[in-house]
Amino acid sequence: MLALFPQRWLAFALILPQTLLIALFFYLPVYLAFYWSFTLERPFGGGSEFVGLQNYARVLADPEFWRSLRLTFVFMVIGSTLAIVIPLILALAADRHIRLSQPARNILVWPKGVAGASIGLVFVFIFNPFLGLLAPLNAVFPGIWNPRIDGADAFTMIVVAHVWGGIPFNFVVLLSGLQAVPQVLHRAAALDGAGPWRRVRDVQLPLIAPQLFLTFALEFTESVTGAFGLIDSMTEGGPGGSTTLLVYKIYVDGFRGYDLSGAATQTALLMIFVLILTAFQFLVLERRVRYER
Amino acid sequence: MTVRATAAALCALACTALSNPVNAANFEFWYGNTGKIEEAIQANCASFNAAQSEHKVTCVGQGGYEVAMQKAIAAYRSKTHPVLIQFFDAGTLDLLLSNAVVPVSEVLPDVDWNSYIGGARSYYETSKGALWSQPYNASTLIFYGNREALASVGVSELPTTWEGVIKVATKLRDAGHACPYATDGHPWRVLEQFAARHGAPVATKGNGFAGLDAEYAFNAGLPAKHMENLAGWRKDGLVRLAADTRAGKFADAFNAGECAMIENSTGGYSSHLAALGDKLMVGLAPMYEGVERRNTLVGGASIYVMKGHGEDQIKAARAFLDFLRDPAPQLEFVKATGYVPVTQAALDLIKTTDRASDPAFAVAELGVGSMDVAGNEYSRGIRLGFFVQFRDIFMEETQKAFNGEKPMQAALDSAKTRGDELLRRFQATYAGVTLP
Repeated sequence: MLALFPQRWLAFALILPQTLLIALFFYLPVYLAFYWSFTLERPFGGGSEFVGLQNYARVLADPEFWRSLRLTFVFMVIGSTLAIVIPLILALAADRHIRLSQPARNILVWPKGVAGASIGLVFVFIFNPFLGLLAPLNAVFPGIWNPRIDGADAFTMIVVAHVWGGIPFNFVVLLSGLQAVPQVLHRAAALDGAGPWRRVRDVQLPLIAPQLFLTFALEFTESVTGAFGLIDSMTEGGPGGSTTLLVYKIYVDGFRGYDLSGAATQTALLMIFVLILTAFQFLVLERRVRYER
Repeated sequence: MTVRATAAALCALACTALSNPVNAANFEFWYGNTGKIEEAIQANCASFNAAQSEHKVTCVGQGGYEVAMQKAIAAYRSKTHPVLIQFFDAGTLDLLLSNAVVPVSEVLPDVDWNSYIGGARSYYETSKGALWSQPYNASTLIFYGNREALASVGVSELPTTWEGVIKVATKLRDAGHACPYATDGHPWRVLEQFAARHGAPVATKGNGFAGLDAEYAFNAGLPAKHMENLAGWRKDGLVRLAADTRAGKFADAFNAGECAMIENSTGGYSSHLAALGDKLMVGLAPMYEGVERRNTLVGGASIYVMKGHGEDQIKAARAFLDFLRDPAPQLEFVKATGYVPVTQAALDLIKTTDRASDPAFAVAELGVGSMDVAGNEYSRGIRLGFFVQFRDIFMEETQKAFNGEKPMQAALDSAKTRGDELLRRFQATYAGVTLP
């Protein structure tokens, strides 16, 4: 169905406010980031020298950049997968009307209301090596868990906090998808002798492919940029840079190190990375998704 | 109707702006400290406003040194910056070349800047002797001990050498003490102050004072050996990192009695005194035996005058700086915080009054004494670009050594390499600018 505006100017007028906002808060900063990435910019202004691709050469030759990009990628794959698989299991359970699924549907949404930094603060306490949940483990095997010193522990801690924070939204989306699966199909499959697992695999999952695609697309981009609050409140990128994802490295370089050009260059590269990723998702993965039922 | 209301509102705004007399210099001062020190700064501001009626200062806390610098950069670029701003030691060179500040000795040419004690002045001086900023909350590194813990192993005096520290730490460890000595491994403590008082270079060219082409040099000699030692002592259970302590922060661990000895800023004194009372021992930061003691560096922060303000604002800022230089408000501040007095007059005022026996002033003389030892070219200060970022790199690399990812020497080498890259980029960013 197609609706046409009688006058063309009206259409433009209606999209103008939104366009202005996006231009001011997105296109302009993006433009500046790209512009700065070709200059050496003095922190207080008053001198910026065009240096061509020198910043890109510097950043791409920096092993720290590749390390944080690798960490970002690992975080994206592990964090996003868990942040979808766990809500999927919860949603399948809630959809099957198992005991307590009604209150669970409500309670599982609560973490959505908690900001990243607050989640970080709470998890820092939960994972405190002396007072937290794993403290008894340390009492038995001294030093086995200490995210303040051990990089792998710190990374695990960030992933757990991220997954926890990602449960509500993905749960809501996946559950709504599952509930829209017609009961008739369940019954038909059951009549044909399909057990619960078989029905999940052959009926439910194919039918919620659009929801799965949506959560994957959002979760992948979100995990690249959204970990900032967690890292800043939990590890500040440490220990030894083991949780310095690219988004945090950009902040540290630009705001704490006054390296505006380097930060701008990495911002540009991160944007390109996310664009490629999203393009891949939409051009390759979305073709396999069927929206009509 | 709405038009009229808008007009009225606009007029209300304009009229309040106009009702201020032209010379009413309401001006802003931004600072970074928080907690007890913030209270002391606000007290200074309040007493300035109470002492005269011509000017009014609004002191705005920014929640941290680094945040204050970030906001100052953003504010300067958008021309909404304050007249006066407090910056911390590590940002010195970034500011000197920023073209955003005027040297205080230019703004206040008649002041006798030599009344500032040498150690506090050299850090902020140009090679020609002009002073860029007025030292405000000056601190330096000293040594703290817990009298009770030391007495439990029969030690009654704080050791003054690293060899002595390790002897005491060994006794404490053998007596079952979990944390004889603690540090956070921050380069201000383990590198900058260490190298300065041992007269060893952090970087060539007199730590950068002699030119922008300096290179880092701490990965050899005594500073490197000390880092190697710290890592070894940690394995032996003599030294604990902040992350190894229950409290998670070395100063808190010391306050809680968990750790027996720490090196910390004099700025930490008031909190240590409040926590430990007469169990607190203070002394000069330890030296390696056989090395001549040089001065420690001034830490903390100083006040800069920013460019781009009218004469009335500058006049008001001058009055505020004059006020802060007076001995009385200085001592008010020293007493509340543990920072050290920065002028000879203020120091004399402590000595000549009954303040000399007041424990609140106990570190003032110690700290000033520590900064007033004869120095060499490597104990003047640090004049290296992007130094804040270097500190992060140093922490990151040495943490890798502490958690066993790589040997300490390799960590220091790679911190040097990454640091040198920063210096070269700083040089390129300020191409054609000479060091003042």
